[in-house]
Amino acid sequence: MEINTTRFGNINYGDSPVINMRGPILGFEHLNRYILINQKEASAFWWFQSVDDGAVAFAVVSPFLIKEDYAPELRDDDAALLEIKDQSDVLLLGVVTIRSNPTQVSVNMRAPIVINLKQKLGKQIVLDDDSYDVQHRIETDSN
Amino acid sequence: MLILTRKPGESITIGDDIKITVLDIKGSHLRIGIQAPKHLMVHREEIYLAIREQNIKASEYAATQKQQIEEILSKLATVIQKPTP
Repeated sequence: MEINTTRFGNINYGDSPVINMRGPILGFEHLNRYILINQKEASAFWWFQSVDDGAVAFAVVSPFLIKEDYAPELRDDDAALLEIKDQSDVLLLGVVTIRSNPTQVSVNMRAPIVINLKQKLGKQIVLDDDSYDVQHRIETDSN
Repeated sequence: MLILTRKPGESITIGDDIKITVLDIKGSHLRIGIQAPKHLMVHREEIYLAIREQNIKASEYAATQKQQIEEILSKLATVIQKPTP
């Protein structure tokens, strides 16, 4: 199975698990299937690449790496929708927004993408807790 | 737009499986309870719009600035550790 992507050219995703969205990435309601591509080997960043539209991909990162005490509450109905039975099957991803000039990087901590790795199901959820920012800035200078 | 008057405790039904109940009113704040099927997303409008806008921005920047973005991500990735998907 192959897809022509804007960023990675033609990729064969036969070996990658395809995540089926049970709830959309808001604004991309027409796209249901995604794969995860590591930004670079061993990088903390991943690309959440649409299989339905090669031009659509989101840089994503675990929100737990951005905020140590991140404690999102998954609602029961979302857990049921994603058929989550075991917490260890869950992967959370924060959507990264990058502006290059000046360099500003933010992560959406309010609306993580929740993935059930076992069932390969996903949804972008919206947390009730308004202390989590849609644009949580991360420092781009390593000093 | 359909406009209805309701008192606290009263509800509105939409179709067979959506019910909206006015819970209480305090000053200018109205608390509303919503029962809807799981697959329907219910959000505060401003949050929904902010997230939608952010997703679109995230996707656009990612598409137009490939080279720079790879560099920024690579640099940032050295600062934070690897997750385990």
